[in-house]
Amino acid sequence: MRGERVGGPWPTWPPGFTLAEADRSAALVLSALSGLTPRRLLAYASQGRSASACLELVRRGELGSSRDRRFAKELGGVEIATRLDRCGARTVVWDDAAYPTQLRTIHDPPFVLYVRGGPLPGAERAVAIVGSRRCTALGRELAQAIGYGLASVGVTVVSGAAVGIDSASHEGALEVGGPTVAVLGGGVDAAGTGSRRSLIERIVDHGAVVSEYPPGVPPVAFRFPARNRIVAGLCRATVVVEGAQGSGSLITGSHALEFGRDVYAVPGAPTNPLSHVPLQLIREGATMIRGAEDLLEDLGVDRAPGGEALDLTLAEAAALRSLVGPTLPERVARELRVGLADALTLLVRLEMRGLVRSVGGRFEATLAATARTG
Amino acid sequence: MYGRVFGVSVVGVRGHLVVVEAHIGRGLPSLTLTGLPGAPVQDARDRVRPAVESAGLEWPLRRVVVNLSPANLRKEGPGMDLPVAMGVLAASTQVPGAHLARYAFAGELSLRGTLVATPGILSVAMAASRAGLEGVVVPAANAPEAGLVDGIRVVGAPSLAEAVGFFRGSWRPPVPEAAPGVGNGRGHSVDFAEVRGQAQARRALEVAAAGGHNVLLVGPPGAGKTMLARRLATILPALSREEALEVTQLHSVAGLLGNGALLMERPFRSPHHSVSLPALLGGGSAYLRPGEVSLAHHGILFLDELMEFRRDAIEGLRQPLEDGRVVVSRMAGSAEFPARFTLVAAANPCPCGYSGDPGRRCDCLEHRVQAYRQKLSGPLLDRIDLQLVVPRLSKAELLGERPGEPSARMRERVEAARDRQRHRYAGTGYPCNAQLPGPLARREAQMTSRARDLLAQAVDRLGLTGRGFDRALKVARTVADLGGSDAVDADHVAEALSYRMNVTQGSLPRAG
Repeated sequence: MRGERVGGPWPTWPPGFTLAEADRSAALVLSALSGLTPRRLLAYASQGRSASACLELVRRGELGSSRDRRFAKELGGVEIATRLDRCGARTVVWDDAAYPTQLRTIHDPPFVLYVRGGPLPGAERAVAIVGSRRCTALGRELAQAIGYGLASVGVTVVSGAAVGIDSASHEGALEVGGPTVAVLGGGVDAAGTGSRRSLIERIVDHGAVVSEYPPGVPPVAFRFPARNRIVAGLCRATVVVEGAQGSGSLITGSHALEFGRDVYAVPGAPTNPLSHVPLQLIREGATMIRGAEDLLEDLGVDRAPGGEALDLTLAEAAALRSLVGPTLPERVARELRVGLADALTLLVRLEMRGLVRSVGGRFEATLAATARTG
Repeated sequence: MYGRVFGVSVVGVRGHLVVVEAHIGRGLPSLTLTGLPGAPVQDARDRVRPAVESAGLEWPLRRVVVNLSPANLRKEGPGMDLPVAMGVLAASTQVPGAHLARYAFAGELSLRGTLVATPGILSVAMAASRAGLEGVVVPAANAPEAGLVDGIRVVGAPSLAEAVGFFRGSWRPPVPEAAPGVGNGRGHSVDFAEVRGQAQARRALEVAAAGGHNVLLVGPPGAGKTMLARRLATILPALSREEALEVTQLHSVAGLLGNGALLMERPFRSPHHSVSLPALLGGGSAYLRPGEVSLAHHGILFLDELMEFRRDAIEGLRQPLEDGRVVVSRMAGSAEFPARFTLVAAANPCPCGYSGDPGRRCDCLEHRVQAYRQKLSGPLLDRIDLQLVVPRLSKAELLGERPGEPSARMRERVEAARDRQRHRYAGTGYPCNAQLPGPLARREAQMTSRARDLLAQAVDRLGLTGRGFDRALKVARTVADLGGSDAVDADHVAEALSYRMNVTQGSLPRAG
């Protein structure tokens, strides 16, 4: 669905807000202030003040909190620039040509972006994939397959680098070497530890990591909804894979609708709590997709050639057909009229070919099996 | 004046013959115990005199020294009261010494001179039999237990007076009646017929029983993990007489033997997760007692909520799982207890318990689930051949399930499979597939080339580790034994591979 623009064009940063070198430096300091809401800053900026003029107001105590005032006095743009160099990040400000056009039209656009990695994608070449942190194995597979499908035709996959669906989307894109972009809810240097750090480093190598916060800002949950507007804003379309009630993916989907972008959702069983957001969005008019192929067809890009036909024995094909959702092995045995041991044997052979997976003592068909057998 | 009788000190489960010498000499009335008496034996010093006087006998009012020999062996157990008393009575010539040396004495005395039931009497009788003695004098309550040892005369005396009377020829012990065995291996109170559904778990437990494999059951609360574990004992082969004697002996030492009857049923022990280390593995400060692992000897040790057990308790299980015994060392000395059990552990799939359950949402954070699984996949898991996810069945899945096959029929198949293994491993000293060390298991498996290919593929496709490989191999061997097959075929391997836990979720191959 193409969302209707509710509320029309919003007030945005005036041209020239960050034009001069001094303004650019001031913008960095302004982006680090926690007590100054963007809305209040925007009110002053739209009266024709530049970033350095606004910063001067903060230093005089007329704008922002007293803490901001202290902070703004001590901090200069130079300190932030040094930090940027240290983590290999660059800045893209409102008046730069490199500022993504599609981001200019969103509600409350960031006046500065901190970027590590390559160039930011153009609007027509970026799609967001979002969903639950706590997801099912199937959801993870779906996100990965969609990410893979998009990246393999050169569409940038944008997500939030969180665990679950986000990571799976990035991973799918990284399998074909990107491109993929992660929008973080903290500084671009706060990359976390372990597997998350390695994921972020790979995204930097095969795309970009973006944030509106300067390096050193910790990734804290209250910033994530704000981050989601950038995820939706960077893309021509947003895909929601799984999301429970109250999940951030509903926020991202709503943002996308509000910005007039396309929204796609992968449905699930209505009884599954993780289907809440996708089904809700579909009811509100989002386009239902069954997987990467549907999406690529709707986006009008050519799909890479499909998977080869499966070479299954009759018994294996029958076992695969008997799996309707998570199924107990004894059900499979009964349906095939074989002993339990034989059913287990068949299922394990299918599992080893990546067509079946065991979840909590039951067996279900993987995406690979459903995609190829129809 | 000098007297000499035999007592038995029980260290661990083994009885050691002790010579109790008494000497009555000049000096102020006193009783001195020498020869490394343990704390319970020291107690005998004050107990024996009132007991002797209550029995209508005379305590010599002179300096009495009792020596326990060999002096390097620490004398344990409350059973030393009777030999100390008899030694003193022999030295004071109140008991004729003619037959004393043919008997071993054991039993705790009360202040009224009665003999109270004493733990470890079966071990006492075995030690006396080994030493070639004619008989044992034990508390009457323990006589049936001592009677389990063949070729030894059991004198069950209700009190010290009767024990003395026996040697004076004034009292004849009743002929001990053979106690009936407890349970005949068929009289279990539970049965697999009561389990509806859970076909895979039933099959896995049958495989576990047939090969002696340890089992981990992972599933949400209410899936029936405990119910299944309890029923594993009902399909294990019946205890042999030697095994039953070992089990009885351990329970006797622990003081848990009720009426002294032979325990014929495989024990099922299920310690709570708050269990202390000595209670689990054996020990105790004053007197070394067998722990839960030994009480489960030849039976099942069930650890419910495995993740709640203390880390050192879990670590402590490695020795018994490896060697089939525990060595407990204390300042008081060390003791060895047999502990060859089948471990059945149960755990939730994640901290909240509902991960992977289609009917309820798991509320755990991803990294906490990961950390939980990591903790679950420790070195203990390497000793557990069968790892099984037990799903919580929905109403629809339960409906239409007929009651399952009864335990007796399952046990027939288990016993047949065990026979095949006994036959194959005759002379190696290993009774079943599970206990085979890796290299021997690989040699004995007799895999077909298709089976070998499939197992090799599993290493790639299912991320099977080296240890996982050996586990799957042993389980496949058992599956083949249950099927009456000499060779391990690919189908046996495939079934074995279904009894493993998918710990590495999220590393699935790409779909598309």
